[in-house]
Amino acid sequence: MDLKVEELLKEVQLEYSPALTKFVDDAVSSIKQAIDTIPEDLKVTGDEAPGFVRDIGADKVEFNFKKPKSIKIGGSYAIECLVKPEFNVDLLVQLPKECFHEKDYLNYRYHAKRCLYLCVIKKYLMSSSLVGKVEWSTLQNEVRKPVLIVYPVRKLVEVPGFFVRIIPTAPSLFSIPKLNLQRSNGGIPQATPKYNSSILEDMFIEDTEELVKQTFLGSKELREGLILLKVWARCRKPIYAYDCLNGFLISLILAYLVDRNHINKSMKAMQIFRVTMKFMATSDLWKHGLYFTPKGQKAIPKEKRLPYKESFPIVICTPSRSLNLAFRITRVGFLELQNESALTLACIEKCRDSGFEEVFMTRIDYPVKYDHVIRLNLKGKSSVYASGFCLDDECWRLYEQKVHNVLSQGLSDRVKTVRVTWKSMLSESILQNGLSTLSTEPLLIGISVSSLDKAFRIVDIGPDAENKEEALKFRKFWGDKAELRRFKDGKIAESTVWETEQWKRHIVIKRISEYVLLQHLFLSKENIMHIVDQLDFSLLYGAEDPISSSGGLLAAFEILSKRLRLIEDIPLKVSTVQALDSAFRFSSVFPPEPHPLANEKGSFVRLNWFPPSCIRPLEVMIQLEGSGNWPMDDVAIEKTKSAFLLKIGESLQNSWGMTCTATEDDVDVFVSGYAFRLKIWHERGLTLLRRETGNEQVKKVSNVDKELYFRSQHSSMINGLQSCHPAYGPVVRLAKRWAASHLFSACLVEEAIELLVAYIFLKPLPFNAPCSRITGFLRFLRLLSDYDWTFSALVVDINNDLTPNDQKEIIENFMSSRKGYEENPQNVNSAMFLTTAYDKASEAWTRFSPNSVELKRLMAYAGSSANLLTKLILQDHSDSYRWECLFRTPLNNYDAVILLHRDKLPYPQGLLFPSELHQGVHVARGNASKGFHPFLLPGDFKGSSEDLRNKVLVNFDPLRCFVGDLEKEYSNTFKLWYDSLGGDAVGITWGGCSSKKRGREEADEEVKDPINLLKDVGKVGAGFVRGIYLLKAPRRS
Amino acid sequence: MGLKDKKKSKKNKELSRRNLEPVEKDIKLGPSEMRKRKGEKENNGESGKIVQISNEDNSAKAANDKKKTKKLRKGKVKKMKNHHALDDPPNTDGFDELNDDEVEDQSQFEIQGETGNAEIVLNDDDGKSKKARKKKKKDRDSLEGGKSLAKGVEAVQGEACHISSVDEDCSKEIPSISKKSQKKKWRDMDSSKSKKSLEKKEKSNQDDVYLISSEDESSPKGMKKWIMEYQQNRPGLKVLQQRIDEFIIAHEAKLEQERTEREERSAEEGWQLVQHHKGRKKSKDAESGITVGSVAQAVVESKRAKKKNTDVGLDFYRFQRKEAQRNEIMMLQSKFEQDKRRIQQIRAARKFKPY
Repeated sequence: MDLKVEELLKEVQLEYSPALTKFVDDAVSSIKQAIDTIPEDLKVTGDEAPGFVRDIGADKVEFNFKKPKSIKIGGSYAIECLVKPEFNVDLLVQLPKECFHEKDYLNYRYHAKRCLYLCVIKKYLMSSSLVGKVEWSTLQNEVRKPVLIVYPVRKLVEVPGFFVRIIPTAPSLFSIPKLNLQRSNGGIPQATPKYNSSILEDMFIEDTEELVKQTFLGSKELREGLILLKVWARCRKPIYAYDCLNGFLISLILAYLVDRNHINKSMKAMQIFRVTMKFMATSDLWKHGLYFTPKGQKAIPKEKRLPYKESFPIVICTPSRSLNLAFRITRVGFLELQNESALTLACIEKCRDSGFEEVFMTRIDYPVKYDHVIRLNLKGKSSVYASGFCLDDECWRLYEQKVHNVLSQGLSDRVKTVRVTWKSMLSESILQNGLSTLSTEPLLIGISVSSLDKAFRIVDIGPDAENKEEALKFRKFWGDKAELRRFKDGKIAESTVWETEQWKRHIVIKRISEYVLLQHLFLSKENIMHIVDQLDFSLLYGAEDPISSSGGLLAAFEILSKRLRLIEDIPLKVSTVQALDSAFRFSSVFPPEPHPLANEKGSFVRLNWFPPSCIRPLEVMIQLEGSGNWPMDDVAIEKTKSAFLLKIGESLQNSWGMTCTATEDDVDVFVSGYAFRLKIWHERGLTLLRRETGNEQVKKVSNVDKELYFRSQHSSMINGLQSCHPAYGPVVRLAKRWAASHLFSACLVEEAIELLVAYIFLKPLPFNAPCSRITGFLRFLRLLSDYDWTFSALVVDINNDLTPNDQKEIIENFMSSRKGYEENPQNVNSAMFLTTAYDKASEAWTRFSPNSVELKRLMAYAGSSANLLTKLILQDHSDSYRWECLFRTPLNNYDAVILLHRDKLPYPQGLLFPSELHQGVHVARGNASKGFHPFLLPGDFKGSSEDLRNKVLVNFDPLRCFVGDLEKEYSNTFKLWYDSLGGDAVGITWGGCSSKKRGREEADEEVKDPINLLKDVGKVGAGFVRGIYLLKAPRRS
Repeated sequence: MGLKDKKKSKKNKELSRRNLEPVEKDIKLGPSEMRKRKGEKENNGESGKIVQISNEDNSAKAANDKKKTKKLRKGKVKKMKNHHALDDPPNTDGFDELNDDEVEDQSQFEIQGETGNAEIVLNDDDGKSKKARKKKKKDRDSLEGGKSLAKGVEAVQGEACHISSVDEDCSKEIPSISKKSQKKKWRDMDSSKSKKSLEKKEKSNQDDVYLISSEDESSPKGMKKWIMEYQQNRPGLKVLQQRIDEFIIAHEAKLEQERTEREERSAEEGWQLVQHHKGRKKSKDAESGITVGSVAQAVVESKRAKKKNTDVGLDFYRFQRKEAQRNEIMMLQSKFEQDKRRIQQIRAARKFKPY
């Protein structure tokens, strides 16, 4: 950790080289020069920024321009705490007293003049040849206090995007008592603490700068601590905001801690960081307020503290005790800050490497932190500023408050936090035309769900009907939605009901928030973008989420396991029955729908729709009573198992009339619409295998029993997890769908995805466990793309089963798998090292795939998908096409592409988007076969029900057959990428998976004539392949 | 290959040829054909499906036609029989099948009716021009027949097989596709609409594109093979049971034989295998010489563990302790080195940039 922090500091710190200082000095002096050219006594009127002056409501704004009293560098550059990649220098320009009247603190005159002063400076800066671009910005998102951003013409390579921020200051411009918190100066009768603070801030900027400078310039450790804190805060968008934390406030807090001796000289940077974290997370002093006590002064008396406490949730007072520097911090913002610091402390304590990754390297933004994100498009919404743009506070802040109140009341205990922020963008045209055009950015709302049970609740019970006053309030808030209901316990109360289907429960919050926003803010529906169900389209089967039929599936399984245990006429009784398929743990993308023909013999209704002709069997594991008579070798064991299964099948058929079909390896039974594939787990097979590997040191390809063991362990583990986290299922399904739709079915097995998602829920730090599918999905993508797979193992430890010894074992296993890395980074066993309590050597799921090349591709795809998703959530894209892009894979990333006949896919409804290709060489085309059809046709219904039932194909998947055939023949020539969930495209990349040890040349030699080769490939899939396109011929050596 | 196939194939050939050679077609076709094409174009516009589907519309039309022009058809069939019987095994069921087919087609139409307005409209369109087409068709058919005769059988042979398969599939596809459209599965119809023109262009030079010939009787590949394998793998429970029994008997016999051979071999070498049968059952594995049997693994392990306890402790002797200490220091050192290396690697990967 220490080493890493050191490296981090080296990375982010800016070296104050002579070249840099000269560059900065040049930039500043060029600005000074430009300002010097402004003629003295230039007459300035409100016409420079008419819209601005009008809208903030200032009068008497004319003044004669005088040169600024002083111009000096401030901010983090001055205390050598600039943190990459932000390169900016604050230039404090002191406004001359001559330009202002004594009473200009009234009625926004100061703000108007301040802005006009900058307008003049801007005009002259623009005409300077050394200044490139000048833009407007705001001081901490406060529109009434604009600042100038100046980009110099000259650029320095070390500091890309360098700019200078011109911040006006106004020390001792006005009498301080006049700006007392209780006084009203902003043109309204009430006290205007925010308005007053806004002016006072400018008056005290230089003093506080001085204080900060004194504190930091003396101590390197302190500066490093500040840098760490800044890095930490900047990773966290929700708290690094105008109504919460900024670099300046962090330095103030640190200065306060030094002042209070919480931090002493002997502390290292990381210690300082931790002390500050602890202070922010837990200290009681926040309630009291932070007051600097200069030497020789007594602590601030209570009566002086009181006004601050009443006006602001958080107080950080200047030494002069006349200004609360934290006047912008809101209560919600501060709670979020405390929350975040507490989580950080937990990271340091619990995570690997003291949580370095989690604390400093993980980006925490709205989409990944909050369970729900709502974007409100308030463009041209005049009710925002109906009562004036600037009162005490600005109208945008007041609107935020309003939105927050409405949502918190509406969602009540369903949510933990509702965070509302609205960024203001200032530009020249706004200054000219007025502030009504300001709200172009959407207002952003982040919602953390308290628990899914509450979030999914359908009925909200309000006040009792007896309680007239409360009931009236309730009715007023909810409008038509409020109903008087009688509940089971006899209570009659006001309530709201959000009736929804089971599989749509996650939308309840969306419905409520939309309703209350419509009701109270009169927004139209298309201006509310609530991100929660945008990806549901990928999970629908037809018009409904197939997960809703899971209940029937579990019931069918119960029937089966009961009947299995009742079987008497086999030599060994069935002792346990366990479901293995992911459909039983709600994590299958498409849990099978009940098939009308896959039921017990007998009744068979005429259907008015065509049932699919393929049925996917679900694996069920059976354990038999122990016996010493089992054979000893593998083959014989498997045969014996088959014999047992056949007997079981026969018995089921005879005593219950169940249908049973079998091949030499599998036995499938139909129960109430589902097909179950029976497997026997023979415990001794496992020990047999263990002994074998122990003695002969042979790495055997996984044995059947071992695989079954893994699967059963995995199944029960995920089942347990799933029941603790209801959001787990949907997230896994999205993740699986994503992997499949980008043709990664071959690289990343289902179970591996389940484990990755499980990790997100088990080790959520630096977040809380996700409570919505999109947030979870985004975190999955980021985990996949950001995790350091080469150098770390991913341990999924569900019940803290792992002892220190186990962990040591895991590390050893991991090290041995990475032995080959030094010589050849490609040569790594289990590139994705995924271990669990049941599998400490990553043998079960990721031993062979993904290999390092596949993993690289996976990571790249995950990264770009994550970025796209983030963008979709944060920015104005409401069209569904962009959302679909998350699951559309670009086919030009393959060397060749095989397109399949869509109507020959076994589950055509699993196909998300039909693929077409319009590039590359069209090598071959093929016609669809007539032998297979995914739906039973009317013609099929003519025979007896027995015949019909035989037409239902169990586990028939042409894609799997096709891929199997190809891999048998060409596994050294190319690698296949496909979508096992129903995609109609197969990608090909040259170079086989096993050829990498033998070197690339050999593989290339084999592909001499790619066109003919692809034609042969087409022959292998005759009747299934629609077309083959060659995009890139293999490289010749 | 039924007669109806051929008939369809013929019609289809025209269609596909139209797709393949748009320029030629314009010159060749009569006015009614033009109209038909127009209708087809409209269909395409309305349904917005990919070309494949528009083909189906045609086959649907074909079915429609078939219904109305039964009589006409019989004549046609006869005519065709003349020149197609050459390359195909004669099919006596031709007519029966035709009737069957009709029934099926009708039912398909019922389904189609359910599916949506678009397709019903299509059929209506058909209806309007039906009469005219009927006449023209007769002419054309006879014309075509003559032409193809003149062209020779080879050309027909080449394409017949492939097209017929398409056609049958098309007719089968109708329910599935219509169902799909019902469920609004094809979400990006719009995109496919724009692609359609492209695709058409592509079709025009599809002649150059190699066609995967699917039917090779000796060794079926692809779909046919997979389905065959699927069916072969499921001979029924009884047969499977029998096979497994046979296997196990054979297997046991083989094991027995191996055992006796081994014994014989060892006997030849002058060793007498002494077997000891007392108490629980044991067996011997000649390769490893390890007892394999129902002895619980756990018991053995616990025994071994017990034994270990009686051994002299690892830190009993001074040199042992010293060694352990040294080892530990070495371990720490190597770990430190490793960490350092890792840092370097990570640094190389620029993993310290929090932005």
